[in-house]
Amino acid sequence: MTNALHVHDLCVTYDREVVLRDVHALLQPGDSVALIGPNGAGKSTFIKAILGLVPASSGFVEVLGTTPAKARPLVAYVPQIDHLDARFPISVQQVALMGRYRRIGWLRRPGRVDRAATLDALEQVGLADRANDSFGVLSGGQRQRVLIARAIAQDAKLLLLDEPFNGVDSVTQDVLIEVLGRLRAAGTAVVMATHDISVAHLACGHACLLNRHQVAFGRLDDALTADTLKATYGHHAVMLAEGTALLSTH
Amino acid sequence: MLGIIRFLTEPFAPAYMQRSLVISLLLAALSGVVGVVVQLRRLSFMTDALTHSVFPGIAIAFVAGESLFVGALIAGAVAATLLTFAARSTRIDQDAFMALVLASLFSIGVIVVSRHRSYSADLTTLLFGRVLAVDTADIITTAAVAVVALGVLVAIRKELLLRAFDETGAEAMGYSLLRIDLAVNLVVALVVVAAVRAVGTALVVALLITPAATARLLCSRLQSLMISAVAISALAAWLGLVISYDASVHHGIRLAAGATIVVVLTALFAVVAIAQALRTGMARRRTLAAVAT
Amino acid sequence: MRRLLVMALVATSLVAACGADAGGSRQSSNPDAPLQVVTTTTVLTDFAAVIGGERVGIYGLLKPNVDPHDYEPAPADLDAIAKARVIVKNGVGLEEWLDDTIRSSGTKATVADASEGVTVRDLPAADRDAAHDHGDPHIWHDPRNATRMVTTIAAAFTAADPAGASVYAANLATYVAALRSLDTEIAADIDTLANKKLVTNHDAFGYFVDRYGLTFVGSIIPSFDTSADLSASDLRNLVTAIKAEGVKAVFSESSLPAKTAASIAADAGVKVVEGDDALYGDGLGPAGSDGATYLTMMRHNAQTIASSLR
Repeated sequence: MTNALHVHDLCVTYDREVVLRDVHALLQPGDSVALIGPNGAGKSTFIKAILGLVPASSGFVEVLGTTPAKARPLVAYVPQIDHLDARFPISVQQVALMGRYRRIGWLRRPGRVDRAATLDALEQVGLADRANDSFGVLSGGQRQRVLIARAIAQDAKLLLLDEPFNGVDSVTQDVLIEVLGRLRAAGTAVVMATHDISVAHLACGHACLLNRHQVAFGRLDDALTADTLKATYGHHAVMLAEGTALLSTH
Repeated sequence: MLGIIRFLTEPFAPAYMQRSLVISLLLAALSGVVGVVVQLRRLSFMTDALTHSVFPGIAIAFVAGESLFVGALIAGAVAATLLTFAARSTRIDQDAFMALVLASLFSIGVIVVSRHRSYSADLTTLLFGRVLAVDTADIITTAAVAVVALGVLVAIRKELLLRAFDETGAEAMGYSLLRIDLAVNLVVALVVVAAVRAVGTALVVALLITPAATARLLCSRLQSLMISAVAISALAAWLGLVISYDASVHHGIRLAAGATIVVVLTALFAVVAIAQALRTGMARRRTLAAVAT
Repeated sequence: MRRLLVMALVATSLVAACGADAGGSRQSSNPDAPLQVVTTTTVLTDFAAVIGGERVGIYGLLKPNVDPHDYEPAPADLDAIAKARVIVKNGVGLEEWLDDTIRSSGTKATVADASEGVTVRDLPAADRDAAHDHGDPHIWHDPRNATRMVTTIAAAFTAADPAGASVYAANLATYVAALRSLDTEIAADIDTLANKKLVTNHDAFGYFVDRYGLTFVGSIIPSFDTSADLSASDLRNLVTAIKAEGVKAVFSESSLPAKTAASIAADAGVKVVEGDDALYGDGLGPAGSDGATYLTMMRHNAQTIASSLR
């Protein structure tokens, strides 16, 4: 069975400055890892390296057994909703349909199969009835779900999510956890950047702690401890009860 | 009522006015659609830089006695490519670079034209067009360019939508942003080429930006945006030509046709903007009143 | 949105309705005349009126004090051109915009080039533009050329309107005689001058200078394009030349601003002739002025030059 993700000794530089180093990771299909670290720790850089959008200055990244660039059709990226213009004149269905573009190819129009797959994906996140609404009239959490639907429509084998639980309502949170669980069961691996330790516990089996270098990687309970959190967040982390921690966002 | 109809149709009795109308409507359709794309991609300043950068190519063609279309085409392709590559570079200050390119290339164009004998009249023609002097060949060329430009947009419309909406997502899916951006900038350059005889390089920016801006105030769906932008542009073309004709023939007042169209476009934007502001104001007052009771 | 559109339409039609009866538009001088003519320059308008008399309705494209290089045709002009049967142009590249305009209007008129048969001066080397070298277009400043021009005009009128042949011939004969006396008069006046050195606002007076034996020291606008400016070295050379040659006066032209002439005159210590006394270089003056007709314009120029150089 090919690894979903294999990262070895990854180092990324930008403008001659090392922004990320010593990153190792190994994920099997169906695994999911929480990327944890303060702002500027390199979580987005790591995701971009997995996508092949930034080059590895040393070490390697292997995605689904091949190079990041070649793996792209099977890798789905779910951005933070804050990064998208909510006023953009586009419908919910059009956003979800984007997941099928690579499959449709240049110059061809979406067909019945594509629309059916899109509606099915929207159904899975509970938004099939909002298909014709403007993307912008939906709530933040609903928009996040639409982006997940886009990833589902892409039928990807690796999902990369950037802070998907940030500021979403509880309905969305439940839907996301349920959908991610279902996708994992079907063999899709998940990499999820998050600030939320409790969500990490709910949705992920592995953890990767970053602070411009890798502090820890491993099964969640092994990698996510009071010590590793302190090493990641400095003195800004306080472990409360099992599964929750106070992190200052800076 | 009959008077209004006559006012709106009488100017188009002479053949030259009909030709002016046809080319203006063609440009309205083209620039309305491309203008919406420019707005969604936030390329307004890039468009301005592009139109100024195309000018020296047109100037050289004019002074050499060659076809303006060819000059514009070559200059447009070069300028679009240069600006696209520059935009993708992280090492260049975008604003400053575009301003630099805009000013220097435009100045070169002015210098080229100024060595020509009747340079102020020529400059006026190149910058503001001569919509009343277009011939059938110009109309056919404009139509051909419009078909190519719109054809490109239709062909890549879904990728364009993705790239405009979610840049990182588009890259993540493996699309080359450079190629998509190059295609869009070449399409904008084609609009400048199409417009050069009728409205000139200085006014084509207005044709691209104003109808889309007005449409944005009125609609929020992509299809309606494009239809509205085209309709607004067509209306402005019609009214602009009517007003310019009427002023000249009935009142002896000279109003350059191309510029009048642009003024009407701006007036339409102002009217819609004010109306929207009033409507929002009234709605707010109504809500406050309702809450208060 | 519909309401806004209606408002815009109503506003526009109100503007239209207000002006519809104001009647300030330019029309042919005699819309019912049997021969409708369009002329370009004011000089040609005058010639056409003299030769054509009651038989012609004239629409002059250029108004007094409008630079022919800058002109842009408007719908009223295109309509007039479409209706005309004869179009009279100066030629020698003065109206480069005319060809496009004539084609666009769809007119069936014949075009009479008034410069036909006139010996055209070359432009000074510095002003020659490789792609468009036609020569000096200000041919009317020599009354002998004017005679050639009105003859061409009369021929064009006769060809288009044979019924008026005798009228045109008579008018032509009278005017040619007037032109001949004008020529003699000016020659006599200028001959009496001791100092015949001329500096003007721009190089429009080449034919006048050649005809009457004046010496042209230089001009303030070196090229024929009235928007061109003098460079610093050009300015210095001109002032030096003025002082060296002992020029008595610098003449400013009626259709150009007098500032540049004034500053050179101050530098070189000579008199500036400007304002109402200015010379008419590019065409006629407005109605009621000294330059309203060709004959009065030429006399004004000659008298102004003669009295200032005396």
